[in-house]
Amino acid sequence: MIVLEDVHKVYPNGTQALNGVSLEIPERDFAFLVGPSGAGKTTIIRLINRDETVTTGSVFVEATDVTRLRRRDVPQLRRRVGVIYQDYKLLPSLTVRQNVEFVLKATNEFDHLSDGLVEETLATVGLTRRTNHYPHQLSGGEQQRTAIARALVRRCPILVADEPTGNLDQESGWETIQLLVQLNARGTTVVIATHNRMLVDTMRRRVIEIERGRVVRDEPEGGYYG
Amino acid sequence: MARLHVARYLLGSALTGLWRNRTMTGGAIVTTAIMLITLAGFLAINDTLNQMVTALGRKSNLIAYVRDEARPTQVMAIIDDLRTRPGVGEVQFVSKEDALAIFESRFVDQRDILDVLQSNPLPASVELRLNDPSVVPDLAQELQTMTTVFDDVVVPLDVVEEVIGISNLARVAGSVIIIALTGVTLFVIVNTIRIAVFARRQEIEIMKLVGATDWFVRGPFVAEGAIIGGVGAGIAAIALVVLYAQAAPVVTRIVSFLPVSTDTDFVRNLAVFTLLVGLIVGSLGSYFSVRRYLSV
Repeated sequence: MIVLEDVHKVYPNGTQALNGVSLEIPERDFAFLVGPSGAGKTTIIRLINRDETVTTGSVFVEATDVTRLRRRDVPQLRRRVGVIYQDYKLLPSLTVRQNVEFVLKATNEFDHLSDGLVEETLATVGLTRRTNHYPHQLSGGEQQRTAIARALVRRCPILVADEPTGNLDQESGWETIQLLVQLNARGTTVVIATHNRMLVDTMRRRVIEIERGRVVRDEPEGGYYG
Repeated sequence: MARLHVARYLLGSALTGLWRNRTMTGGAIVTTAIMLITLAGFLAINDTLNQMVTALGRKSNLIAYVRDEARPTQVMAIIDDLRTRPGVGEVQFVSKEDALAIFESRFVDQRDILDVLQSNPLPASVELRLNDPSVVPDLAQELQTMTTVFDDVVVPLDVVEEVIGISNLARVAGSVIIIALTGVTLFVIVNTIRIAVFARRQEIEIMKLVGATDWFVRGPFVAEGAIIGGVGAGIAAIALVVLYAQAAPVVTRIVSFLPVSTDTDFVRNLAVFTLLVGLIVGSLGSYFSVRRYLSV
């Protein structure tokens, strides 16, 4: 469950990114955050992962008040929230398999390196044949699937994605979203910030529209435009 | 099991990082070694000067000659008091008879002189052996004021004061140089690690975003710093032991009055100290280098 209560965010340069956002995303929900560039979608994603802090208001993730989280407790939050970025954030010097293993090492889960979890995860995202390839040898869709595998391998109950199809062609974008739908069907809460109108219109899922830092629309089965 | 994995990961990452920047790593190790050899050299000089001061202190006898008319009880009371003073080692009363006996034993050929004299002309004295030469001036002045008891106070003040002066100067200069050299070593290690951190900033960012703890991110870099400091210090320690073994006997032969430590304990302690300084400076330097990149 993700809850934002009257969240305001003003960046140090004076930009008001969020202006009283309140929303609730229950467990196992699948929601799109839509709106023009600069509306505040990315800020919401970053607040959920405590990549940014609020100016005023509260953010709760699974009953944890993220705004009051001590610095040393932030890693625990981030292990529960998987984030998928438009630019994938893969390490270019590591293979697909090593990129996935890297997060297990970084989160001190060395035991899972040898119990078949990595192979299982790579099979789930359809990358079994690409495990020894480096990111530059992969298509955009495959790179994004590697990034999803990286979030998946940690069995995060929440996945937030910031423009996950932004750098992908239509087909790869569609495949990526299908993968996220499958994960949602297995119980993962999925929040996707996107500009992809066709995708949102086709999916007919919950749509939260943000404009100038405010929620202007929240429909349970909406399209890109209201 | 988990700890073994973590240790292997830390060491593996550190060695990979060091190998990736091997030119910089080599430079930092050599600089650290040179700095630590110089630092240990200054410590050895300081130690020699300290030993010199102590040795002079042990030799510095302050002698107060007792007036013939002074009452023995008064002299004994002063001796008892002197024995309780800090810096005072041994206090011995040499009676007139003892003085004569010493004179006779030392100047066997000139016993005729004494035969000419009707009575014993040698005064009784109080001889002080001092552990701390810095107490000499005050003590001498105090005894000199007791004119009813003591006739004269003899003190090798000039030499003592000069050695104390040189020793203090060397200590201050040594401390300044030691601080400066530690600073330079820290600077070199910090910059080497900063370059390593900069090269891996993307890795650090991803680690932080997926929930790695600060320690997990910092660990490999601290290990890198400790390895640079430790290897540099190891080279310095080996060089120190070899150089000292070669140089100490030569110095002792040429300048025989210098109390240069030739015992292995001193060199071993110095080598261990050098290793510790290297490890601590290396680890701390790295610890602070990474801090800036942890606020993801």
